[in-house]
Amino acid sequence: MLIRLRGGHVVDPATGVDGVADVYFEDGRIVAPPQGREPDEDYDVAGHIVMAGAIDIHSHIAGGNVNSARLLLPEMHRSIRARLDGTPLATAKWSTFETGRLYAQMGFTTVVEPAVAPHHALQSHLELGDVPIIDKGALTVLGNDDFLLAVLRERESETAIADYVAQTVQATGTLGLKCINPGGADAFKQNMRAFGLDEIVPFYGVTSRHIFKSLQKATQTVGIPHPLHLHMNNLGIAGNIDTALATIDAAEGLPMHLAHVQFYAYGLEGKNAFSSAAPALAAKINANKNITVDVGAVMFGDTVTISSDVLRQFNSLSGAIPKKGVIFDGDANGGGVVPYAYRISNYYNAIQWAAGLELFLLIEDPLQVFFTTDHPNGGPFTTYPELFALLMSAELRAQWMERLPADVLEMTSLPSIKREYTLNEIALMSRAGPARLYGFTDRGRLGEGAVADIAVYKPQKDKAGMFRNAAYVFKDGENVVRDGVVTRYTKGKTLRVRPGYDRAIEKRLDAYYDELYGLSRSIFDVPEAALAGRSVYAEVACRN
Amino acid sequence: MSNATLDGKSISSEDAYEKAAEILQAANFPLVAGLGADVAGAQAAILLAERLRGAFDHLASRDSLADLEVVRSAGIFVTTPNEARVRADLVLLVGPGLTGYWPAIFDRLALDKETVHGGKTARRVIWVGPKRGEAKIDGVEVETIPATEAELPGVLAALRARVGGRPVALPAAAAKKLDAAAEALKSARFGVAVWSAAGLDSLMVEMLQGMITELNATTRFTGVPIGGRGNATGVLQTSAWMTGFPPRTGFGRGYPEHDTWRFEASRLVESGEADAALWISAYSGEAPPWEDVDIPLITLGPPGSAPKHGLFIAVGKPGENYDAVEFAQETSSMVLRRASAPAELPTVAEAIAAISAKFSEDLPC
Repeated sequence: MLIRLRGGHVVDPATGVDGVADVYFEDGRIVAPPQGREPDEDYDVAGHIVMAGAIDIHSHIAGGNVNSARLLLPEMHRSIRARLDGTPLATAKWSTFETGRLYAQMGFTTVVEPAVAPHHALQSHLELGDVPIIDKGALTVLGNDDFLLAVLRERESETAIADYVAQTVQATGTLGLKCINPGGADAFKQNMRAFGLDEIVPFYGVTSRHIFKSLQKATQTVGIPHPLHLHMNNLGIAGNIDTALATIDAAEGLPMHLAHVQFYAYGLEGKNAFSSAAPALAAKINANKNITVDVGAVMFGDTVTISSDVLRQFNSLSGAIPKKGVIFDGDANGGGVVPYAYRISNYYNAIQWAAGLELFLLIEDPLQVFFTTDHPNGGPFTTYPELFALLMSAELRAQWMERLPADVLEMTSLPSIKREYTLNEIALMSRAGPARLYGFTDRGRLGEGAVADIAVYKPQKDKAGMFRNAAYVFKDGENVVRDGVVTRYTKGKTLRVRPGYDRAIEKRLDAYYDELYGLSRSIFDVPEAALAGRSVYAEVACRN
Repeated sequence: MSNATLDGKSISSEDAYEKAAEILQAANFPLVAGLGADVAGAQAAILLAERLRGAFDHLASRDSLADLEVVRSAGIFVTTPNEARVRADLVLLVGPGLTGYWPAIFDRLALDKETVHGGKTARRVIWVGPKRGEAKIDGVEVETIPATEAELPGVLAALRARVGGRPVALPAAAAKKLDAAAEALKSARFGVAVWSAAGLDSLMVEMLQGMITELNATTRFTGVPIGGRGNATGVLQTSAWMTGFPPRTGFGRGYPEHDTWRFEASRLVESGEADAALWISAYSGEAPPWEDVDIPLITLGPPGSAPKHGLFIAVGKPGENYDAVEFAQETSSMVLRRASAPAELPTVAEAIAAISAKFSEDLPC
C-alpha cells in the first residue's frame, strides 16, 4: 500500500531537505515519488513538521538494574488510568509496555539500552522484547570482567582482546561495547572507595586508562561501527573536569563516545567549591572531532539513578531520596540503584541543569553531541520535549534561570549564551547523528530505501507540547500514533552487529568458565529459541 | 489420549479449553494464581489477568515479599553465588534449612576451596541457627552460633549490635562468642551472607541487611538470597518489567495496582472477592493453599496432579518436558533450561493461548 504525507515541512538533514515536500512510503520503506500512481492513503500534513523517527542513543530501559529500580520504588510509579483497547499494560507506569508507548508518542522509533551485563544479557533481551512499537538496541558492558583484566595483566596480544570483544558482543546480541568506570567496580570489591584514570586495579596491575584504551582499540579492530562508549571515572564529583579532559587526551585521536558528560563538567569554583566547567569541556570536544558525547542533562524532579558504576552508586547512597538503594556486586560490573530528587532550589542541582544546557549550546557540531538525560539518571526521557524547547528558546531559558538560586548564575556561562537550536539542528542531533554514530544506514533519514519510521509534529507556541505528542507517528510504515495517542502496538526489532572473530576464543572461554565457576559457559547464552516470538533481530553491518 | 479432566473424568483438550475460557470470561474478578511457571508462561498468565481485569499472585509470594519488603523499605546489598564462590573469604550462613531450600548450595559456593579473586585464601564459614546436625560441610570447618527458630531474631540482633559496638544483655560466654563472630565479620575482605527468606521473616532479613550496611562502612560485605520455589524470582522479575510491580497485583481498574494484602490469592478466594481461579503449578503440581472453597477452578499442572474437583489441563514441566527460561539460583540470572525429557505436552504459555483462543469476541483485547 502506497502512502503519502502531503505538503508537510520536511526537516531531513541527512538528505539536505528543509522545506515543503511530500513523503511517500510503501511496504515499510520510504520510496521515491512514483510516476503515474495515486497513493492508496493520503495524509494532509500541511503546516506540520515531518522528520524521521528519532533515535535515543543512551537510555536505561531494560535489564536487571532497571528492574531493581521498579521493585525498589513502587511508591514512585502508581498507575492512574486505564489503558486503551489493543494496548495491554500501556498505562502501567515504568513497565516495558509503557516505555514503548511513551517513546512512540514523542516520535522516537529506535532506543538503545546502554548497559547489558554479559551474564544477564538474556533478561535484558526478554525485557526489550516486551517493549512494543519501537526498535531497540543495546551495548554490552566490559571492563570490570576478570577475563579481560587477566588478559591485560598477562600482556596478551591485541588479537586476543579483539576476539574476546567480538565474541562477547556477538553472544550478547548488541550493537557494541560500553565500558563503565573501567576497573572501578572490581576495585570496589576490593574495598577501594574512589578510582581515578591512572589508579591500578589491585591484583591485575592495570589502570583504568589501560583498560578502556584496549577496548577502544579492539572495538575499532573488529569493525563495530559504534566507537567504544565510555562512562568515565569520577562521575558526579566536584572538580572532575580534569578527568574528562585527560580522558579525551587519552583517546589520542581515535573515535570514542563519552556518555552523559554533564556529570563530568564540574569545577571547583565558588564558595561551594562546585561550579560548571562546561565551557572548558565543550571547547575540548570542539577541538577533538574524534569524540562524540551525549549530555545526560539534568531536569528537575524526582527520579532514580541506575548505573553499573557500583562504586559511584555506593557513594551516592548516603544522599538517596528517599533513603534506600540496591547495591549489586555482579560477576563483573554489577550495579547500583539509588533514588534521587533534583531540585531547582538546590545549588548543586541547578549547576548540573545549567551545565547540561551549556554543553548542548557550546558544542558547535550537532553531530558530536546527542540528546540524553541518561534516562532516568538526569531525569526521565519524558523530559526530552522540555529540553528541546529550552534549546530552541533563549527566552525560555531565561525564564527558568530566574527561578535558580542567585549564586548559581555566577558559576555558569548559561546566561550569556544566546544560541537557539533550529529544527534542522534538532533533527541532526536526534536523527541523522545517532544513525551515523551507530552505523545505521536504514534510519535517521527520510531518503529512499530508509525504513518508514516517521514523526509528524504540529507546530505550536509550546514547543515542548509539540514534541511531547506527535500528530502522527509511523513505524515501519504503519500508523501507530495519532494526535499523541498510541492507537495500536506493533512489534519492533532488536538491532545487533555480528563482528567476526577467531573461534579459538570460544574453546578458551569454555575452559575458563569450567575452571573458574565449574559451570558450562553455555548457561549464560542468549539463544534465539529463548526469545522466540518475543524478540526479532535485525543486523547492522560491521565495517569489515 | 487427552490430558484433561473435569471433576476427575477425562475430557477432550478442546472441550477443556472451551470450558476454561467460559469460566474465566464469565467471572467478575478472576484470579490467576500459583504461577509456578517459566517466564513465557508467566508472561502469558499476566497478560491474561490484565485482559480479564483480574488479579495474579505466585505460590511463593510470601517468601519473595519477605526479601522485597526489605528492599523497598530500606534497600539491599546483593551479589551472585558465583561472585561469592570466587571471592568470599567469609561466608555467613543464616537460618535453618538452607540445604533444603537450595540443595546445590555448597557445591556452588565451593566453601572447601580457596578464594580465587582478591587473593587466594581459605574461607571462614559461620552458621547462625542451623538445624541440628545440618552444619556439616565436607572439608570445611563450620563455626556455629546456635539458635532455635524462636531465638534467631534475637541472636541476629545481638550480632548486629556487637558489629556496631553496641552493648547486649547476654551472659558473658554468649557475648564472647558473638564478639568473636562480629570481629570475624568486620575483618572479612569480601564477606557474603546467605539466607533463604522461606526460613526467615522480613524483620530478620532487615536486621541482617542493616548489619551488612554497617559492615560496608569499613569493609566489603554483601548477600546472596535463596529464591522461592516454583521460579518465584523469575516470575517476580517478569512481573516487575511487565507491570512495574511484583505479584499480588490486580487490574480491576484497568491498570495495575499492587497490594500485598488485597491481592493475596487465598484471601481473594476465601473472601469471595475472586469468583473463579486459574491455578498454575507446572513445576510440582502443588495444590492451591485455600480450603473448603468452591469456586470454579482451572488447574494447569504436570500429568498426575489433577485435583478431584474442577477442570484440569496437563502441561509439561518447564525445563524438563520443554525448553524454558527461568531464574537460575546458581547464576542469579535468567537462563534457558533445555528439556531433559521432552514430552508431547503443552507449555504453560501454549495452554493459556489455547484458552484465550476460545474467548468470545466481545472480550476486549
